[in-house]
Amino acid sequence: METRRTLAEQSIRKFLVRANKDADAGVETSLFADGLGLDSLETAELSALLEDDLGTDPFSVGELPQTIAEILDFYEDPAAVSS
Amino acid sequence: MTTEDYDPAAHYDRVTEAWGLLLGDELHYGVFETGDEPLSVATGELTSRMIAAAELAPGLRMLDVGCGSGAPACRLVEDHGVSVLGITTSEVGIEKATARAAGLGIAGATFEKRDGTDNGLPDESFDRAWALESSHLMPDRKALVSECARVLRPGGRFVLCDIIRRREIPFLELRDRREEFAVLRSAYGAARMDPLEHYAQLAEAAGLEVDRADDLTTETLPTFGRWQANLDQHRSRVTELLGTESTDTFERSLGILDAFWRDGTLGYGLMSARKPA
Repeated sequence: METRRTLAEQSIRKFLVRANKDADAGVETSLFADGLGLDSLETAELSALLEDDLGTDPFSVGELPQTIAEILDFYEDPAAVSS
Repeated sequence: MTTEDYDPAAHYDRVTEAWGLLLGDELHYGVFETGDEPLSVATGELTSRMIAAAELAPGLRMLDVGCGSGAPACRLVEDHGVSVLGITTSEVGIEKATARAAGLGIAGATFEKRDGTDNGLPDESFDRAWALESSHLMPDRKALVSECARVLRPGGRFVLCDIIRRREIPFLELRDRREEFAVLRSAYGAARMDPLEHYAQLAEAAGLEVDRADDLTTETLPTFGRWQANLDQHRSRVTELLGTESTDTFERSLGILDAFWRDGTLGYGLMSARKPA
């Protein structure tokens, strides 16, 4: 069975392809300027996609993950899993 | 169209023709003093305000950052006796601008492919630096302003006008309105808007003295109605040039921009600053 972490990574990779970013970027890659280069609108789009796919997302609960790994860690938090 | 068929110059011509039909000959916003005047009068008024802020005089050496296809630069040379170096990162833009100047027999306007945020020009080599609606497409705003300050001679002037952000947009609001912002990005490119005060702060930090920061949001609001009227008038030709999807996106953008102007999210500003002598 796929974990929420795995589903989240699939959503992120799907988003990166759609946004014409490096879909093979490592999980420690920065989401922003020196890494994937997401701007505020792209971050909002990623946030919405994660919420659509997983029911919640770290950005809309006030967290500001800096890397793909930090997004994935959010989905291992029991509070996120239960929301 | 296949990749092999793609001709950047022809594409540039089509887009330029379409934008000319939609936005008018000057390809920028208008400043409406009464609200009833034609778009051409209003765009001329914005240019006039930039010229007044620049305090142009014959013989001055001017840098036009984001020169487009060179029309403003040629006009400034012809009407004000300045010499202009126009810079843009678009190779096609340089070709078109150079051809325009040659066709008009204007020797005082030259064009080079350079990045406004790292222009590579000598220190203190210009009397004026000018950025008309080009800054929102340059993400490194600080570098743009500091580069303009660097190349100005003491006593020189920097003038800029552009779309501005008039308030903070909270993340959740941005998320809720992401489709509206995505339409704007699709229609106008990956722009980022800053408050007028931010431009002023960058200018001060670069050693300039800001002497004008005008919020022109109210005066530019009628622009969208005029662009819509132009679209209504030229819809078939614009659709032929841009395609149905891009034309529809442009039309949707007009309602979004009008709403953003009215609700205080976005607007328009003009700033000028002087380099101390």
